[in-house]
Amino acid sequence: MNSTIEIKKKKKLWERIDYYSLYFFLVPGLLLIFIFNYIPMGGIVIAFKDFNIFAGRTPLESIIKSEWVGLSNFTKLFNNMNFLRAFRNTLIISTYKIVFLFPVPIILAIMITDIKAKWYRKSIQTILYLPHFLSWVVVTALFIQILGPYGVVNNWLKRMEVIEKSIQFFGNNNLFRSLVVVSAGWKETGWNAIIYIAAITGINPQLYEAAKMDGANKIQQIIYITIPSISSTIIMLFILRIGAILDAGFDQIYNMYSYVVYEKGDILSTLVYREGIGGQDYGFGTAVGLFNSIVALVLVLGGNGLCRKFFKKGLW
Amino acid sequence: MIDSRSDKVFSVIVYIILSTFGILIILPFLNLLATSLSDQVAVSNGMVTFWPKRFTLSAYKFVIQNKQFWNGFKTTILVTFAGTVLSMLVTTLTAYPLSLPKLKGRKFFLVLFIIVMLFNGGLIPNYLLINQLGLRNNRWALILPGLISTYNMLLVKNYFETLPPSLYESAKIDGASEFRIFINITLPLSLPTLATVALFYAVGFWNSYFSGILYISSPEKMPLQTYLQSLLNMSYIPAHELSPEVAESLSTESIRAASIFSATVPILVFYPFLQKYFVKGLVLGSDK
Repeated sequence: MNSTIEIKKKKKLWERIDYYSLYFFLVPGLLLIFIFNYIPMGGIVIAFKDFNIFAGRTPLESIIKSEWVGLSNFTKLFNNMNFLRAFRNTLIISTYKIVFLFPVPIILAIMITDIKAKWYRKSIQTILYLPHFLSWVVVTALFIQILGPYGVVNNWLKRMEVIEKSIQFFGNNNLFRSLVVVSAGWKETGWNAIIYIAAITGINPQLYEAAKMDGANKIQQIIYITIPSISSTIIMLFILRIGAILDAGFDQIYNMYSYVVYEKGDILSTLVYREGIGGQDYGFGTAVGLFNSIVALVLVLGGNGLCRKFFKKGLW
Repeated sequence: MIDSRSDKVFSVIVYIILSTFGILIILPFLNLLATSLSDQVAVSNGMVTFWPKRFTLSAYKFVIQNKQFWNGFKTTILVTFAGTVLSMLVTTLTAYPLSLPKLKGRKFFLVLFIIVMLFNGGLIPNYLLINQLGLRNNRWALILPGLISTYNMLLVKNYFETLPPSLYESAKIDGASEFRIFINITLPLSLPTLATVALFYAVGFWNSYFSGILYISSPEKMPLQTYLQSLLNMSYIPAHELSPEVAESLSTESIRAASIFSATVPILVFYPFLQKYFVKGLVLGSDK
């Protein structure tokens, strides 16, 4: 009698130890985000200081020894032409990307799911997803290659006698934003279609059968079945996309721009890098970064709130 | 019954448009490849489109002999391998307990990870942190900060949650510990999702160039993409990097094209094999 109780007790104890071991699973992940995400969040105090990197022997000491200056970094911000220009450019480039690139993956997904030949569907998907896996360094190189002064496009235009001198696609303020939108479309459109393809594949095939019986052609099926069926996916992704409007694409711009096109191409994140780290104006850089993070946070939370309200489903 | 003629026209148009898109993706690669295989005269006279003109392999000879390229390759392989293995380890270890409803404080921990996804200190504090930790010019600076991505962790966690609880219960009755269940049941049943996430991490490490710009100063530790990035803005290759006979016959364009193409080959080779997993894994993981 006693021994079975002993065994049961032991089992209980073992089960509890086993349960608490689950918390140890979390330790590496928590440690990592603490060090590399939460500690830097503390670093935003730099935005409220007149930070001098040489005030101490280590960055931390420099932060502690630097003077508090309140909000003066932020008031400086709104009188800074470079900041205002970068803010405007960020919004404009993002808006262009949304207007011109948001609808394309939807159309692409409708077309891909219309394909019946399996081999063709697979191959075209493989090709269209591929650019997503290349870095902006590589994609920029591809575009420089094609659009450069000796590139294919300039050669053709010259041969057709449309132009005499090569067009500087990368060094022209009138063309830079178009270049950004087109190259972003080239890289991500296929990938962005995946979620719509999944949504369309999930539509009940009986709906299409019934429509066919009633004599609906493909265009009618798309308008009356496909699009209404994926409208909640579309609206949700649209809201989330708006929430990310301050992310105009650092990697892309950083690789593609040069001082010639700062006027139309410099965005907040590239400005932070150039002035903050390149120019060692850490206080200014942190202030711009913090402004960016806070506005982005508000937008994302707002977007997610809307999604939850309308679709009972958010980003997380 | 069905207006099959208009439907046929529709299908043909779809094939034409999709094929055009596909060709628009492939052509730039062909142009890059052709440029990398053509000599200076052909490239600077604009003779090269999608087929090599005045064929030569000297750009690839240059790449093979280029110490910078190989150093970059070595660093990138190292960072990608170590980074992906460690990322998968941390990501799955984190996702497992967070997928179990019985875990007390689960919401709290989840929120800790989600906050990180929504808000960050910005570039400068991160940059100063690496300096503070003494990780400048250390390859760990290329690995550690990006080791766990909340997005990927949630993808894995969501998939873990779809596994039937009855499996866990019967394992429990057999006396299996949480760790054994994690290793012997959860992980093997989640392979498509794990392959997808591993691909995301690997591609992320392979493609990362910016941390190399920020943190690495010595050429022998510079990742490949950072080296390639430096080629983008270069209008000429410094003379001391070239042997005289190479300098005469090669254009900067060819060298850049050959370097870029060589660095992209691993992705072109591995990606089609993994593709079948990631569509499945992505859809399953996000289906919640």
